[in-house]
Amino acid sequence: MAILEMKNICKSFAGVYANENINLTVEKGEIHALLGENGAGKTTLVNILFGIYTADSGQIFWKGKEVSFASPKDAIASGIGMVQQHFSLVRKMTVLDNIILSLKKNHFILDRASAEKRLVDLAEKYGLVVDPKARVCDLSVGEQQRVEILKALYRDVEVLILDEPTGVLTPQETAQFFDVLRSLKKEGYAIIIITHRMSEIMAISNRVTILRDGRQVAELTTALTNPGELSRYMIGRDLCVNYDISSPVAGENIILMEHISLLQKHRGHPLHDISLQVQKGEILGIAGVEGNGQKEFAEVITGIQKHSEGMISLEGIDIGKKSVKERYESGIAYISDDRHNDSLIVGMNITDNLMLRDYCHKPYSHLKIMSRKEMADNANRKMEKYQIRASGSTGANTPVALMSGGNQQKLIIARELSDNAKLIVACQPTRGLDIGATEFVREMLVEQRNAGKCVILISADLEELMELSDRIAVFFGGRIVGIMKRSEATVQQIGVLMGGITGEEGIL
Amino acid sequence: MILQAKQKQTIIDAFLIFSITAIIGTVLILACGANPLEAYGLLFRGIFGSSSSFAEIFVKACPLILTGLGCAVAFRTGFFNIGAEGQFYIGAIASTVISLNVTGLPGWIRIFLSLAAGFVCGGLWALIAAVLKAKFNISEIIVTIMLNYIAINFLGYSVRSFLMDPSGNVPQSAKIEPGSQLMILIRSTRFHAGIIIAVICVLLVWFLMEKTSIGYELKAVGLNRHAAACNGISVIKNIILSAFLSGGLAALAGGIEVLAIQKKLLEGISSNCGYTAVLIALVAANSPIGVLAAAVLYAAMQVGANSMQRQMGIPSSIVNIIIGVVVVLILGKEIFGFLGTKRKLTVMEEEK
Repeated sequence: MAILEMKNICKSFAGVYANENINLTVEKGEIHALLGENGAGKTTLVNILFGIYTADSGQIFWKGKEVSFASPKDAIASGIGMVQQHFSLVRKMTVLDNIILSLKKNHFILDRASAEKRLVDLAEKYGLVVDPKARVCDLSVGEQQRVEILKALYRDVEVLILDEPTGVLTPQETAQFFDVLRSLKKEGYAIIIITHRMSEIMAISNRVTILRDGRQVAELTTALTNPGELSRYMIGRDLCVNYDISSPVAGENIILMEHISLLQKHRGHPLHDISLQVQKGEILGIAGVEGNGQKEFAEVITGIQKHSEGMISLEGIDIGKKSVKERYESGIAYISDDRHNDSLIVGMNITDNLMLRDYCHKPYSHLKIMSRKEMADNANRKMEKYQIRASGSTGANTPVALMSGGNQQKLIIARELSDNAKLIVACQPTRGLDIGATEFVREMLVEQRNAGKCVILISADLEELMELSDRIAVFFGGRIVGIMKRSEATVQQIGVLMGGITGEEGIL
Repeated sequence: MILQAKQKQTIIDAFLIFSITAIIGTVLILACGANPLEAYGLLFRGIFGSSSSFAEIFVKACPLILTGLGCAVAFRTGFFNIGAEGQFYIGAIASTVISLNVTGLPGWIRIFLSLAAGFVCGGLWALIAAVLKAKFNISEIIVTIMLNYIAINFLGYSVRSFLMDPSGNVPQSAKIEPGSQLMILIRSTRFHAGIIIAVICVLLVWFLMEKTSIGYELKAVGLNRHAAACNGISVIKNIILSAFLSGGLAALAGGIEVLAIQKKLLEGISSNCGYTAVLIALVAANSPIGVLAAAVLYAAMQVGANSMQRQMGIPSSIVNIIIGVVVVLILGKEIFGFLGTKRKLTVMEEEK
């Protein structure tokens, strides 16, 4: 008998189905993958299971009995644990305190000693090594993930839901993580893993349920399928990946950085002695585990942070002292990885967001008075050219908060890729986008490259870097630990460098 | 579809707010043994009964419009200026000093200089908090509240020392001569030229916020400071600008109160309008036109309540209670039984 069964689950938001008649059966000791594009309804489904949402209709059976969870508390009490994409840890508390936080059996006086013993036992059993006394904010993302899993295991769950768990890990960390999952599986845990990476599904899962547009399109046994079939089910067509980056780069330097360092209070050197140049018509890929200085690197180029040492120039002109605005005006465009905090003002509508860079320039503004008409024309033009879709009735006046992630990203690209741009700094430009939008963004970047601009592409997705880059630089600990032509690079070699291992031993 | 749902919700909210306050008001009136219908009738007659009482609404609304406008500008930029009260006092002091000391110029120039001085001093007063916020990230809420005490007590000090009327021994300044006073526009009422200035300020601020790139920057900084900075908009510059405008507008209200109503400087001159301003701006959702409407409505309620108290002996406090309830309800709309729809809307946003 299946440990968990969801039957005919329906859930709609404001009249749109996020889940429509979805069935999911999970057995003890299996890893069940949930595959689908962004917005396909995967997260909604597990949120219903975990008690965050209530289904409009449908039933959930837990060990054969019908249940309904009013809140995550109920779900955890029954034995369902979930590690969300954004971790729910208290950053300033220790690992141990996070684990025992809001446990029912906590007494007025906490018994940390026995809790620690149990935690250490659990951690050793499954290879989830982490220091119980460390503060969460001092841990790497991979370690924080381990804490989240331990938190669930500590609560004696039998089903573990993992929402996009590998997005933040290096290939090596992912392999380790999969070992943990396999040992959990052996112990009889049922695991639901949400992902959009075919290779991971093939490597780890027993069965896979595929969702598209809120509907269940297939349930397959992993051993009897292949990535091609999976992707056909997922996007409803064959995936075309063939980016034309064959033309040689021009050899003319656009951006030149020499010995750039960034010093921050309390954080030491997020960037240390970075020297590189990027040429006309070149895509330079930046690989690295998140938090190794890539974001700071992007912000130092765009002027959001000011480097403390070194020299940076654009087409031979020193731009070190220039402001963000001046750098944009001299041709540096920026697509940030954090759309909501860095790039968009979600309280404003499409028209106004498209103006963020050019609001003070002609023809949109004359003697400080803005022309609504020019702004609206600009919005309509760009929405058409970049296929930005907004709600039908309000068009360009739609608040950005109501747009999908893919359309928000298109909006940013439409704004940043002006004719004037010479260097495009793109930080995780396809993160969280569905396949259609991802392809669009990648094509745009390649188009810019082929038009003779230069692109710095920072990505955690190695496949993306291998597809698009002319050269790839690897960041570790705020330094460039390796830089190579794509033709000479292998995923494995980059993965090793991302882990901070350099020199002979690294290049296998 | 989502927008429609939001509009529908607004109508339902407004209806609920109206019903709840009407019920509370009726109960309170009944409790003091009066007939609610008669009382409401008097409230309305008090408002629309005579030209002088109708004009009184605008007299009372004038300082609320300007201070509320000041708060709205600051709030729009994410600068939580709770210091309109203090800025009002600084404006009143500065305007009085100029009016009493500048002589030999035509009246309208003296009025202009006096109000302009008030505006600039109030703006600079607010800048103290803005600079502390921008440079050292010190909470502007605390700083502006503390600056209020300093300003209020500085006025008390000044009317007992350098501004004290030499011909008397009460703590107030000498009378401002008629030539420097803001003229009355409608005879036998107190409808003065300052009200026109306030309405012009509403239109100017609306134009600044909605039609100019300066307003665009201010709004961008208010909505998402970090994104504004990442796109090359100076956060410090805009906070300073908005604080200056905000303080200036509140100070202008102080100057007008001196030049049009009191004709001298004295303690308690603000009738706490600097605090009411915060409420006006919140209810108006920081829109300049909304501030105008909210301030006039607030003043009308006050005027009506006074006549109710005079003629029926019903405490005018009832109206203040009702105003308080309305504000709490507007700010706490979420408590109505529409949690479901609200949550769905936010969820929709995340999902997509």
